[in-house]
Amino acid sequence: MKPAPFHYIRAESVEDALSALAERPEARVLAGGQSLIAMMNLRLVKPSCLIDINRLSELDYILLDGDELAIGALTRHTAAAASPAVAEHCPLMTAAYGYVAHRAVRNRGTVGGNLCHADPASENPAVAIATGATLVLRSVDGERRVAAEDFFLSLYETAARQNELLTEIRIPKAPENQGWSFQEMSTRKGDFALVGVAATLECPNGVCSDARVVAVGVGERAERLGAAEAAIKGSAVNESSVAAAASAARDSVDPPSDFHADTDYRRDLVFTLTKRALLEAHGRCQGRS
Amino acid sequence: MTLDAFIPESRQTEKPRESYTWIGKSMKRVEDPRLLVGRGNYVDDVNLPEMAHAAILRSPHAHARILTIDKRQAEALPGVLCVMTGAEAARQTGPLPSWANPPVHQYCIAQDKVRHVGEAVAAVVAESRYIAEDACDLIEVEYAPLPAIVDLEAALHASGDAVLHPDRGDTNVALARTLTFGPVAEDFAQADRVIERRFRWPRSGGTPLETHGAVASFDPGTGKFTIHANTSMYNYCGWMIADSLGVPAHKLNIVPTLAGGSFGAKLFSHKPCVLAATLARATGRPVKFMEDRIDNATGCDAHGSDRVYYAKLAIKNDGTLLSLKTRIIDDYGAYFQFGVGQHGNALSQVVGPYRINSVEVALEAVLTNKCQQGAYRGFGSEVANFVIERLVDGAAAELGMDAVEIRRKNFITPDQFPYLIPTGNMYDSGDYAAVLDAAVELSEYDSWREKQAEMRKQGRYVGIGVASCQERSVFSTTEFWMWNLEPGGEWTSSPDAVSLKIDPTGKAFVTLHAPFWGNSPETVAVQILAEQLTLDPADIEVTYSDSDHGFNSTGPGGSRFTVMVAGAVVGAAHQLKKKLLRIAGHLMEADTADLEFRDGAVSLKGAPDKRLTIAELANTAHYFRLDLPADMDLTSGLDASYVYDHPVTTLPAKDNSHMGIFYPIMGHMCHIPVVEVDIETGKIFILNYAAVHDCGTMVNPMTLRGHVRGGVVNGIGSTLMEHYHYDETGQLQNVLFTDYLLPSTLEAPTDIKIGHVVTPSPFTEYGIKGGGEGGRMGAPPALAAAIEDALSPLGVTIDELPLSPNRLRRLIRDAQARQSTGDIGVDSTG
Amino acid sequence: MGAAREEAETMESVKIAITVNGRLYERETEPRRLLSDFLREDLRLTGTHVGCEHGVCGSCTILMDGQSTRACLTFAVMADGAEIDTIEGLGGIDNMHPLQAAFWEKHGLQCGFCTPGMLMTSLELLRENPAPDREEIRDALSGNLCRCTGYQTIIDAVEAAGKAMRGAGQ
Repeated sequence: MKPAPFHYIRAESVEDALSALAERPEARVLAGGQSLIAMMNLRLVKPSCLIDINRLSELDYILLDGDELAIGALTRHTAAAASPAVAEHCPLMTAAYGYVAHRAVRNRGTVGGNLCHADPASENPAVAIATGATLVLRSVDGERRVAAEDFFLSLYETAARQNELLTEIRIPKAPENQGWSFQEMSTRKGDFALVGVAATLECPNGVCSDARVVAVGVGERAERLGAAEAAIKGSAVNESSVAAAASAARDSVDPPSDFHADTDYRRDLVFTLTKRALLEAHGRCQGRS
Repeated sequence: MTLDAFIPESRQTEKPRESYTWIGKSMKRVEDPRLLVGRGNYVDDVNLPEMAHAAILRSPHAHARILTIDKRQAEALPGVLCVMTGAEAARQTGPLPSWANPPVHQYCIAQDKVRHVGEAVAAVVAESRYIAEDACDLIEVEYAPLPAIVDLEAALHASGDAVLHPDRGDTNVALARTLTFGPVAEDFAQADRVIERRFRWPRSGGTPLETHGAVASFDPGTGKFTIHANTSMYNYCGWMIADSLGVPAHKLNIVPTLAGGSFGAKLFSHKPCVLAATLARATGRPVKFMEDRIDNATGCDAHGSDRVYYAKLAIKNDGTLLSLKTRIIDDYGAYFQFGVGQHGNALSQVVGPYRINSVEVALEAVLTNKCQQGAYRGFGSEVANFVIERLVDGAAAELGMDAVEIRRKNFITPDQFPYLIPTGNMYDSGDYAAVLDAAVELSEYDSWREKQAEMRKQGRYVGIGVASCQERSVFSTTEFWMWNLEPGGEWTSSPDAVSLKIDPTGKAFVTLHAPFWGNSPETVAVQILAEQLTLDPADIEVTYSDSDHGFNSTGPGGSRFTVMVAGAVVGAAHQLKKKLLRIAGHLMEADTADLEFRDGAVSLKGAPDKRLTIAELANTAHYFRLDLPADMDLTSGLDASYVYDHPVTTLPAKDNSHMGIFYPIMGHMCHIPVVEVDIETGKIFILNYAAVHDCGTMVNPMTLRGHVRGGVVNGIGSTLMEHYHYDETGQLQNVLFTDYLLPSTLEAPTDIKIGHVVTPSPFTEYGIKGGGEGGRMGAPPALAAAIEDALSPLGVTIDELPLSPNRLRRLIRDAQARQSTGDIGVDSTG
Repeated sequence: MGAAREEAETMESVKIAITVNGRLYERETEPRRLLSDFLREDLRLTGTHVGCEHGVCGSCTILMDGQSTRACLTFAVMADGAEIDTIEGLGGIDNMHPLQAAFWEKHGLQCGFCTPGMLMTSLELLRENPAPDREEIRDALSGNLCRCTGYQTIIDAVEAAGKAMRGAGQ
């Protein structure tokens, strides 16, 4: 399984990459390559030109910037998964990393690359939506910011334009007393999720003031489960209200069917994982250790 | 069971002993150093000067006529040496080898039509695999699609355009036959009840990490082909590859490489050999064809059994098992290379370890538009094990009997061996109750039953399964043709050979005539030879013969290799020992009866300081002819070879009332897993796993445990997650490892506890029995039983694999709907 | 920007300098050539095995700048300037690395095909976590498939190697 030939451009700077993208409408960005190269080996895609951005160390960082955690797009998963800053300010992402692939893939794969690849079963898109992240896109025309909620359009399709490079992900720092949980079901750990649910919860005095619930594996992209959020918001968080939210979640999705998981099973998982996520998030609500 | 079948006398020359020097030692493997430093020679490591690379254009259709092939653009691509169609290949290369009678014709490149997705429609040779694949993309093929037959029950009734091989008649039924052994009707008439079930065993495959491949070259100076390949059987029937190529057998030499796993898949992997050689002939360059993962999943010719069973077990109310009737439909895919060998195999232990009086098997083997079946660990008996154990569990459930007790009650007892089962096969020795008892103890069965009760009170779904399964070893060739309706090709030899020599410095050389698959033939040979000649293993070298220099050697498969290598080494060693004793006796002026082998020397019994080392004797034997007796039969040198035949096998009866003895070296196992089911997600957790195996005398307990554990994890894959899933148009949905799921470290139990019971075989050297297929033959029924036990509060029965989370959730959901539990925590309406 | 990029655009092959097992190799390669093929065919280091070419089986795992990496999901050009460690650099038959010795001792291999990948992944683990427990070993090796052993003896081997390396102060 060998890839088709392509022209290779190695970007030495972000400007370099942006000019190349502008000059070559057919070019694709090569970051970690863990998704792209696999697809190229299978000849599912045959880009005629690749712009290798792996030298752009200026895009590899995790910083605190005011109220936001700023993660450079070229940050490798291994670094993000091990980052104390991420663990403190976006513990949902740290939790999600427990389900992401395997070490060798995490060593090369990047946060930005993963988000731009937009696999419907991928964990980070759910984290981005649940945390209300903003994606920073740059091109020769300037900079554009897109809310995570608006970024993931469909299977392998994002709002990034052909000539844009994702340079940064900005995540609002998680509030002090916010609980979080990432639940995923796959046949084997590290496989693509059959269904995954990311949840954050704020419940001062035991009543939910804010909830975000995002599912993957339920359609062509990560889906925010507004019905579940609405069902739990304003309620005291207990087994019954959580079950009601989980039922609302299940009823609001229309998942696809394949031989790994049929529609009924995915619905079951949406129910169960939403329930577990909300309960775990609730357990973490009152301050983090 | 009294049968009009005779049991040949044992040809065992080495009886099992209380203690040994090398046999029974968990010696570090001789094979390992080169593998550990990355210097194993696998077929893809073979690199010949001027070697070119092949790729195949795979059919996108499951069934279609090939109308036109336009290869002009492909041929024009720089770096392309050749683009070959099936018609062009057929000018010199005939059909691939087949053991079926009558054969089903298969070609290395499809002829007038394609019969499964992934079948080669054309082959390209280029300077690199990259360019070859570029060229494949440029080949334009016009197809006329034909109806795709994917469902095995539909295949029974297919006709017209849906028939894969019209030259065999207007049917996709390759073989339909019913065999009856013993008084089935009478036994069913006296039954108190009949346990009746439908089982579905899914198509999966050995899927070793190394795919199949070959590097072929043609020498115009000698007119001879050389093929480096990871196939076995090059010294058994390698000439069939020469036949396919249209050359005399002595104009082909097959050189074995190490195989990166096989699990049966590489038993006779002829297609890459024939393809590579055909392309080498056409291009005048050495050609490497290595399957990539897509080539392998879609066209490896090594998928496993794919069966529906309608099974009936006749029993008495006291739990006595009387008779077994099965109707089987087996989906063989598009070709039929081994006939229904997998069903010959299944007859070897179809009644399990039980005193079942009679058996009827009605078989329909159908052809469909899928990759064909080959050999896969168990070769059909793993399915028979699943069926009989599930039926016995069903009987226990219906009678309210304990799973352990019903088995104990029906076991063949130690005093009954050698035991002939209704199909005619013999079980050579065993103590099934001892194995069961050992497993019950090792698994802490009683303690787990208590824990289970506690956990159930907490609302947890925990189950314990027991499976007592046979693990036959050393197949006879008769299993491949015993079902055939037409005579012909009825081979009865399945030997293995070893050559030995000791050089003038006393170093021993063992040549194996069959390949390494990850089993440990070199270590076995070293341990047996060291035992025989009291040599130091460090003084023994093991090599592999190519086909030019090879003797008849069937090779690994059917758990036979350890038994056969041991037998061949013993046979050859006896010859050497005889000669060494003669020479020593002459030089020491002693009677050979007063001499013994001790510490690498021949010494006087009772006076070990009076000795000549093997090195000294070897030196004399090689160079000092005139110091030896003048007898004509005593020649210089020290060498011997031995072709060790199957130790005990007989022919099927002419009227097929029995199948003779064909797979008698009978190992046995008892597996007891404890599982927990998360009923909300269908995820399985294995809390405990105990496996007790009886493989007779153990040569190397460490490597045997490796096979048991590897087999258990293999079995976990088969039970919980592996299934080659074809959709209704014949597209294979899960070609890649992202979708065809093999167990990783996290799906393997943290500790597979292993126990051993030893009932030596009366027929093999040292009483050794095989154990390579082991774990996979017992894990599926054991796990199915455990999961069914876990879900018994819901009334779920397990009749179909794999037990993916998806399937388990459906079973649970349906069961809950039936029960209408109204349980709050679980969604019963989903 | 500019010159270097334009040159790369017109070239069908790219010059790369890769250090493998401490030795510098300067070669020209097609951009699409996978690191797995570059190692195996261009450098004749066939110890790194190819099992799937889509990054799942782990047989091709090597270390790139000390980090475990799928050679089948890396273009050789991406390794330009990198330090690659393959199985051939781990130890020889007469001077085995403790990991190799432990795998031999504990029967951590049968066919040997997954073994180089297992060893390189284990090396990364033990360098970062010299005393892993069995759960940590299982987790670290969860991306390396083995069809032969059932994994238990591989975990035994890594555990033993860790002890040996700690004992020897490695």
